[in-house]
Amino acid sequence: MERPGAKPDPRGKRPAAWRRYLGVHWELYAMMLLPLAHLLLFKYLPMFGNILAFRRFRPLTGPYGVSWVGFRYFEQFLGMPDFWRAFSNTLTLSLMNLVLNFPVPIIFAILLNELRSLRFKKLVQTVSYMPRFISTVVVISILTELLSPSSGALNRLLQSLTGQPPVYYMNEPQYFRSLYILTDMWQYTGWSAIVYLAAITGVSGDLFEAARIDGASRFQQILYVTLPSILPTIMVMLILKVGYLMSLGFEKVLLMYTPSNATVSDIIDTYVYRMGFASNTNQYSYATAIGLFSGIIGLVLVSASNLISRRLTGESIY
Amino acid sequence: MAAPFQRVRRGRIRDHSPVLDIILYLSMVIALLVCVLPFLYIIAMSLSSSQAILNNRVTLWPVGANVEAYRQIFAYPNFFQAYQNTITYTFFGTLIALTMMTLFAYPLSKRALKGQKAVMRLVVFSMFFSGGLIPNFLLVSNLKLTGTVYGMIIPFAINQFNLIILINFFRSLPEELEEAARIDGLRYFGILVRIVLPLSTAALATIGLYTAVFFWNDWFYGLIYLESRLYPVMLLLRNIVNGSAMVGEASGVGEKSSVAIAVKSAVIITSTLPIILLYPFLQRYFIKGMLVGAVKG
Repeated sequence: MERPGAKPDPRGKRPAAWRRYLGVHWELYAMMLLPLAHLLLFKYLPMFGNILAFRRFRPLTGPYGVSWVGFRYFEQFLGMPDFWRAFSNTLTLSLMNLVLNFPVPIIFAILLNELRSLRFKKLVQTVSYMPRFISTVVVISILTELLSPSSGALNRLLQSLTGQPPVYYMNEPQYFRSLYILTDMWQYTGWSAIVYLAAITGVSGDLFEAARIDGASRFQQILYVTLPSILPTIMVMLILKVGYLMSLGFEKVLLMYTPSNATVSDIIDTYVYRMGFASNTNQYSYATAIGLFSGIIGLVLVSASNLISRRLTGESIY
Repeated sequence: MAAPFQRVRRGRIRDHSPVLDIILYLSMVIALLVCVLPFLYIIAMSLSSSQAILNNRVTLWPVGANVEAYRQIFAYPNFFQAYQNTITYTFFGTLIALTMMTLFAYPLSKRALKGQKAVMRLVVFSMFFSGGLIPNFLLVSNLKLTGTVYGMIIPFAINQFNLIILINFFRSLPEELEEAARIDGLRYFGILVRIVLPLSTAALATIGLYTAVFFWNDWFYGLIYLESRLYPVMLLLRNIVNGSAMVGEASGVGEKSSVAIAVKSAVIITSTLPIILLYPFLQRYFIKGMLVGAVKG
């Protein structure tokens, strides 16, 4: 190839350079091979499988259906009151959860940062991260026991204090949203606070020093130094959270779902699940259409929020 | 020079407002209790006599302590089987996931590698848009993985969030080390195994913990992919709580329902114990691993 006197041949040279590149780096490509195949098989093939939303499914004929039906399934679910109930339940629960649970980790991180005893701070951190690792099944099982009408601690307490007759909290629609939000708070406050704690740790000590010299009280320091310093982090987290409005803790909702609280607890994901698996006939195409619809809304939300985040703060997940 | 110094001191004195400190520590103690009390309550329930549960005498300490409930669940063959299943899924699932993600993350951490950007884009896009429940299920079932151990392990080998943590961690390692190893004659596989992995224990422990917890806690995929013989323990717990809750609530008060409560509590504790025991050992790694991984690359 670099023989003296050889005519330069661009067409011949290119594969050689390419081969030489592979000769040096082939191991990196070899490493990627299996994981990349996995990604394509388990992440991208199901995306392609979404064409089932436009095709009629027949059992034992493969995952892609047997004949085109166009937008029939979309028209079907868009005309179903059940779908719209699930749609509005999803958005209501998501928004309520966002409004109530977004500020809590920020406040928690700020309070945690104010603790003087390092050992106590470590203890609170360690204990408050732990619920994130507990299975949703366990969380809901504990909740069910605590709220049980016959033996639950809450009913016993209320009964002995006020003589109020037992309430079946897990079954009553009016408690479902509060219970969802409170268990989320219990499970994720400590964990979500990590990001804010890291941001607070990054604030220069000089700023606090200067504020102290100016006579700022601790509360004023929080208000005028800590909060403005972590505002970019707060903004990014908020925008990203908005991007995930369509995705709720599906498994938790499914665990809390009972026919009697379905009016508020049936969200899009549980609706898809019920149509696909829990109804008498597995309506795979219909359920896929709903899943695709909500997936696309989710994709639009995430992309938009990412774009806004990048424009405003220069930060985004990608 | 004396005046500003004094002002600083005065500021510090005002800092030590005892009222503020009391409120602060009190709220943190409450937060601690809120995290811990539900578990204490369940532990107390699992160890109490059914008579005590029946008379509502149990709060946070076992009354009439006995291990009858634990004896019962260990005598229950399904529980043993489910526990074993969960251990299998968690162990092999985590092992395979860590291997696959390491093999993926290392090449992807090389920005100069041709094609790296395109693959990265594939990874990121798949975080935001997925096949959804039904197409995923149909794929796994068409691959004949449903009803098998593999169905609980193989589809979950790559988690994109964990992968990106690992990629960013690999990128944070000093370039010079690899350079030196290459001069010493090591090739990429050698560098990965002998240089990169030993330096990555924090990151591997972090995503290993996340992955193990995912496998340990899963019940939903067990529900849609498996038959009862292969059920993981969390799915069994969910079924016990569902089933016996109906018995307990329906029969109101009675020996049967109070035994059921103790048994449920014992299952909750036994199925959560490994995570609670493992957690303190791994938690010192994961903050470090996560924060390094979170640095945007």
